[in-house]
Amino acid sequence: MLRGLALDLLSVSSRRPSYLKACPKRDTFAATWSTRGFHRSIPTRHGGIDRPKPGTGIVIDFKDSKGTLIKTVEANEGDDILSIAHEYDIDLEGACEGSIACSTCHVILEQEVFDQLEEPGDDENDMLDMAFGLTETSRLGCQVKVTKDIHDGRWEVRLPAATRNMFVDGKRASH
Amino acid sequence: MKLAIVGGGASAFYVASRLLSRLPQDAHRIHVFDRLWAPHGLVRYGVAPDHPEVKNCTHKFDHTATDPRFRFFGNVNIQHQSEQMNVIQHAVQLPLSSLYANYTHLLFASGCPLPTLHPALPPSSHCIPALNVVHWYTQHPSLPAVPPLERLKHVTLIGNGNVSLDVARMLLTPPDMLRPYDVPESVMSVLERSTIEHVSIVARRGPFDAAFTTKELREMMNIRDASMAPIPPELLVVPTGKEVSRAQSRSIQLMQKGSKNPYGSTKKTWSLEFFRSPVGLASEDPLGPAELSLAHTTIDPANPRRAIPTGETSRLSTDLVITSLGFHADDSSSPFHDSSLGHLRTEAGRVIVPDLPGGKDLVSGSVLKNMYASGWASMGAKGVLAATMMDAYAVADTILSDLDHGDASEGVSLMNPNPHPTNPPPEIDAAAGSVVGYEDWKKIDQEEISRGESLGKERTRMGWQEARELLGRTT
Repeated sequence: MLRGLALDLLSVSSRRPSYLKACPKRDTFAATWSTRGFHRSIPTRHGGIDRPKPGTGIVIDFKDSKGTLIKTVEANEGDDILSIAHEYDIDLEGACEGSIACSTCHVILEQEVFDQLEEPGDDENDMLDMAFGLTETSRLGCQVKVTKDIHDGRWEVRLPAATRNMFVDGKRASH
Repeated sequence: MKLAIVGGGASAFYVASRLLSRLPQDAHRIHVFDRLWAPHGLVRYGVAPDHPEVKNCTHKFDHTATDPRFRFFGNVNIQHQSEQMNVIQHAVQLPLSSLYANYTHLLFASGCPLPTLHPALPPSSHCIPALNVVHWYTQHPSLPAVPPLERLKHVTLIGNGNVSLDVARMLLTPPDMLRPYDVPESVMSVLERSTIEHVSIVARRGPFDAAFTTKELREMMNIRDASMAPIPPELLVVPTGKEVSRAQSRSIQLMQKGSKNPYGSTKKTWSLEFFRSPVGLASEDPLGPAELSLAHTTIDPANPRRAIPTGETSRLSTDLVITSLGFHADDSSSPFHDSSLGHLRTEAGRVIVPDLPGGKDLVSGSVLKNMYASGWASMGAKGVLAATMMDAYAVADTILSDLDHGDASEGVSLMNPNPHPTNPPPEIDAAAGSVVGYEDWKKIDQEEISRGESLGKERTRMGWQEARELLGRTT
């Protein structure tokens, strides 16, 4: 089924920039192409999402594997964790750009949040099988959309141990 | 730091990207050399055409290449022995000593480009390495022979890793489904004439030790017009006392469920043959079928990673054997190749002097200062892109940390502490007409995509001659 979807998207690719033709996306993603796809596809660090007005969004505490806070950020209903991380320069990779073909955006959620989300599909689980430091509450960041309905809109997202050296905050001052 | 990177694949780009994002100063330079004229290594010449989403990582590589401190030199083969075999005839030859003389730092990201062969199955008219098939369908500049699919009915793959399953999937997928992807037209026309009916995938150990990932297995199960021979259920029972990982248990469940199409309902079929190890291949007619002798195996009770023969054997009549048993580094790419490992020896990414015959002034086991290795050149050929990325970032962090404490670290350095700050080796300028820069590549890349557009496909790959013509380099 995924394959069929991929082919459908390839065949309607004329609306999209040509270099994006090779990126079959899940349907929810395809729907955002016309408005956001361009920003998303440009290889910048930013997530191509809008930041909510301070105090109005869903609050996400990004923490490292030891539980130390990296940054607290705000995002809008329906934004995915990978895009949020990129928007706020938190170095969560997305090598395949959200097409469920790698495990580089692996994140660890709180049990309560994990339980209330829809279960991951086979394709996401296949990728999680290859993730480093997999836990019972692991997900791919690109597949998890934040919502106010879970945990009163206050989430904690932990990065797995293997990515502990990947934060871009605190750039070296000189070399 | 003026860093030369040997090899321009994913590992090289991830290291470069990390270094450039952490080094704010203009003074640094990173020059990447690849023996192929196109960058991105296995992302271009390894990833299966029907996995286009994996190639999205090149957007990040493109971004890295826009940094003015970064330069790419394609079609340049770095050699440390003057008379080594060169598979790319048109590549500019540059001695490794020239990198020593022109750079302060060196990173080997040269991968594992050579296929590991099976001692009982030397290459012949009936036996080829899987890498030849991959190079054929990706139009690799080494231009291997075209596999004669129009006269094959039965193909046997030895090894069940992801490369093996990539090849099986390419051979079993209906060609019309592959057409929109990055498959050269010449490859499409051979696939369309294919008479293959069955693909056997042989491995010496069982389902719990299968090398493929669940994703690749699932894709096999879902091929539109093919079906899998059921696996004997007794092989899929968890042995008592065995700890089964989440990935293993999901993969076993998938094998129990079998292919989407019931076996026998399709013209094309495939099978996973577990606990079989090839012992020989015999054929009287170079164009006719061959007899593959297989020893039956079981897991060695003393070492679960080993398979030992049970004494039983069987024969399989097959038209072509394709060996897919992993890869190793090219010992001609570096004088520090550790042949016992099949790749460079490293500690946290720093190259370690192996036991060298003749020894020179280098002490075996010591660190070569300012010399590093990343990716498969350092780890051996294992792991998907995510593993390569993490390794690359770790090696970049080692380099950054050594820059901080550089003068204090011990070890001999072969590099030049004071080369020209920005220029590549003078040989590069002398051969400029044959060297491909990143901006040249982007021009080729755009043209490949636009040529593909008119055919309704992802891209139409160019060969070296076409690329040269596009760049106006034919004189």
